[in-house]
Amino acid sequence: MVNPYLTMQGITKRFPGVTALQDVSFQAYPGEAMALIGANGAGKSTLMNVLGGVIRADSGEIQIDGARVEIDSPLSATANGIAFVHQEMAMLPTMTVAENLHISQFPTRGGLINTSETDRRSAEVLRRMGCQFTPDTRVQFLSTGDRQMVEIARALLTHPRIVIFDEPTSSLTSREKARLFEVIRSLKTEGVTIIYITHFLDEVFQICERATVLRGGETVGSGMLKDLTPNAIVQMMIGDIGIEVHRKRETAATAEPILGVSSLSRKGALRDVSFTLHKGEVLGLWGLLGSGRTEVARAVIGLDPIDSGQVEVRTDGAGMRPIKPGQAQRWIGMITEDRRSEGLLLSMSVKNNMSLANLRGLANRWLLVRGDEETRQAQEFVDRLNIIISSLRQPVGTLSGGNQQKVVVGRWLQVSPPIIIMDEPTRGLDVGAKAEIRNIILELAEAGKGVLVISSELEEMMALCHRYLVMNRGQIVRELPGTASRNELMAAAAGVDFMEDR
Amino acid sequence: MLPVRSSSESSWARTRQFLLSHGFEIVLVLVVLFYTVSAPRFLTATNIIGLLHAAAPLMAIAAGLTLVVMMGKLDISVGSTAFLTTSVGTLLMVRQGVDPLLTLLIVLALGALIGALNGFIVVVLRINPLITTLGTMIGLRGIGLELTKSTNISLPEDVRRLGNATIGPIFVDILIALAIMAIIHLIHRRTAFGRQIMAIGNDADTAARLGVRVPRVTFLAFVLCGLLAAIGGVLTVVQVGAVSGSIGSGLEFTAVSVIVIGGISLFGGEGSILPGALRGVLMLEIIRNGLNHLGADPYAYRFVNGAIIFIAMYADSLRAQVPVETHAFESEEVSAQPRTQSP
Repeated sequence: MVNPYLTMQGITKRFPGVTALQDVSFQAYPGEAMALIGANGAGKSTLMNVLGGVIRADSGEIQIDGARVEIDSPLSATANGIAFVHQEMAMLPTMTVAENLHISQFPTRGGLINTSETDRRSAEVLRRMGCQFTPDTRVQFLSTGDRQMVEIARALLTHPRIVIFDEPTSSLTSREKARLFEVIRSLKTEGVTIIYITHFLDEVFQICERATVLRGGETVGSGMLKDLTPNAIVQMMIGDIGIEVHRKRETAATAEPILGVSSLSRKGALRDVSFTLHKGEVLGLWGLLGSGRTEVARAVIGLDPIDSGQVEVRTDGAGMRPIKPGQAQRWIGMITEDRRSEGLLLSMSVKNNMSLANLRGLANRWLLVRGDEETRQAQEFVDRLNIIISSLRQPVGTLSGGNQQKVVVGRWLQVSPPIIIMDEPTRGLDVGAKAEIRNIILELAEAGKGVLVISSELEEMMALCHRYLVMNRGQIVRELPGTASRNELMAAAAGVDFMEDR
Repeated sequence: MLPVRSSSESSWARTRQFLLSHGFEIVLVLVVLFYTVSAPRFLTATNIIGLLHAAAPLMAIAAGLTLVVMMGKLDISVGSTAFLTTSVGTLLMVRQGVDPLLTLLIVLALGALIGALNGFIVVVLRINPLITTLGTMIGLRGIGLELTKSTNISLPEDVRRLGNATIGPIFVDILIALAIMAIIHLIHRRTAFGRQIMAIGNDADTAARLGVRVPRVTFLAFVLCGLLAAIGGVLTVVQVGAVSGSIGSGLEFTAVSVIVIGGISLFGGEGSILPGALRGVLMLEIIRNGLNHLGADPYAYRFVNGAIIFIAMYADSLRAQVPVETHAFESEEVSAQPRTQSP
């Protein structure tokens, strides 16, 4: 029996009004990856922030390698060999990789930065991770995946004994993910203790040896993954509530087209993309990250310029009508993949965020916004979407991810466009919130809207879509019916012709 | 809908890319050519040295201000700082008979102190730098005007002579100004402080998360900016031979335009002292000098100055529009390749 390298015991942390952690115990073992799993708000981040010295626990103790330690600042966490790879990357785009790695701790000689030493150390850690770029590359020229590598390299620079990964794969392509996992494996062989926070259970089973599940600030289960099934873990995460099975309703889409896209092309991004979306249909754009899914959505609603192609919508009268790029937002509502930076004004209130797309509709004849009507409509959609808030004046930034996303959805429901595009609508949400958003999507389709959904989660696509368009390298390479199997979808996205036994 | 682009498009794109990345050099060559042809005495050693002599104070001030701008902040009190510090210095020498060398130290210390005041207001009181330095710009000039009663006060004779001191044919203040730029350049490129200024210019929150002591670095940058404003003031006053109420007036905006022309982003995180800030100073000074030679209306200079700023800003915004990379379906392959830094 191996002794745990890290033991956290009886950790309790109260914030005004909430108990974030209640007597939590947590162990992690050398040379192993411990998955830390839980729905949003379960206390994962709080627990890791305690370990990382970002916040102090009210009570409890931490032992590293059998000895009790006090961690009261990020600095003392580092001194105790703990490194934190944060979910949100901290990048300085106009600076080089080496500068990004060393910005707070440049090696100096006679008051000046020792550039050769800086480059040497940077090159060493990049080589260790198998990165192809050089330390003098400016970060702004790196892909998201490479930036993630820089983020990890920064953590490894201090030669930590414990590395915390917080949702490291949420913006990575499958190839980049494979590289990350290689790095984690090599860290494990060096005897480093890994703590891996994620929503993706498949990753947990791929890379971790053990798992600890938190729910409502308490440890609800812990053990070797070989003794656990995904279902058992999900059960622990969500507790007694049964797992709601999502199944798309069998209301077939009408044959009535509502959005027509023909020969959309943009140099370097899209090639000859054509498709039709029907009334009452949920159409899935499926493909690997970087296959051009988001680019299609952005081109359709005119956020990106296009080189050629045409977008038609069914306007109020009969028949389809071509529209100019700038007009699209009158008929198409877009819910972007990055709600925090593109979809919401975080410091503004729930009410103001919800009325944002509808200010013209709310204006009186003097072009002033009718405040009472704004409040009434906001309240209506808060109730309808079951958004949990303390008041309509609450800043959106203080809501949980699920409620934030519902605010974005509510905004578009106010204007009620006939077509809605959803790009990763449930990213970063917990199981319950995901289910609610998915139900809303299905209801929208039932109400006769055309919905274009982009998601990286296969399960989600399969739960929602009546039809799939498979994208690869900026092209639509296949169309699959709603009955397509998991394997068919995976194979099509990877560019393989898959023939199931039929 | 837009037509499909033909292949000639890409050669135009290349030309455009070239024009944008070498725009400054092209304009500089054209301007120099124009003046050389139309004003015979423009391209002479005497004139060039005179031009650099006139530019020396601006070099010092722009160097300091660049540090602040690179943090994405602004200090428009530099002109008033130059005025107040040199007013105090002149009065000390003329009225109190203080030794010039000691006076210099006092003047520089006062400049640093004013910078510290700005830094304190920005960092501790968390007031927007533009508002902060707008306040100190107005207030400090007021104090200076009160002290000097808005009269001209001549420097002592032996100090005034320094204004024309030369080593060989070169004015000493040119050497001082260039040395200052070199030192600030070194600080910017090769010290942790300089790099952390750039980090703050990228994003102050990110920098703080990465362990940069943002308040301390910000404060120090303002102190340095104030110090260099005082140095710029000293160079100006010694050249002129007297303080007057107009010393340093409008200088803050000249310095900002120089910085913009030099390719330093007002949003921070981008640009350099050498060649950036220096070439901005030279460009402006060459244009001013050339217009003089042409006998142009003195007011035309302001107009041309304004036009140059717009052109520089427009070029900057064009550069920002040129996509650095196509981020569509490349991430699988392209990410593996190293990318080189653009010039």
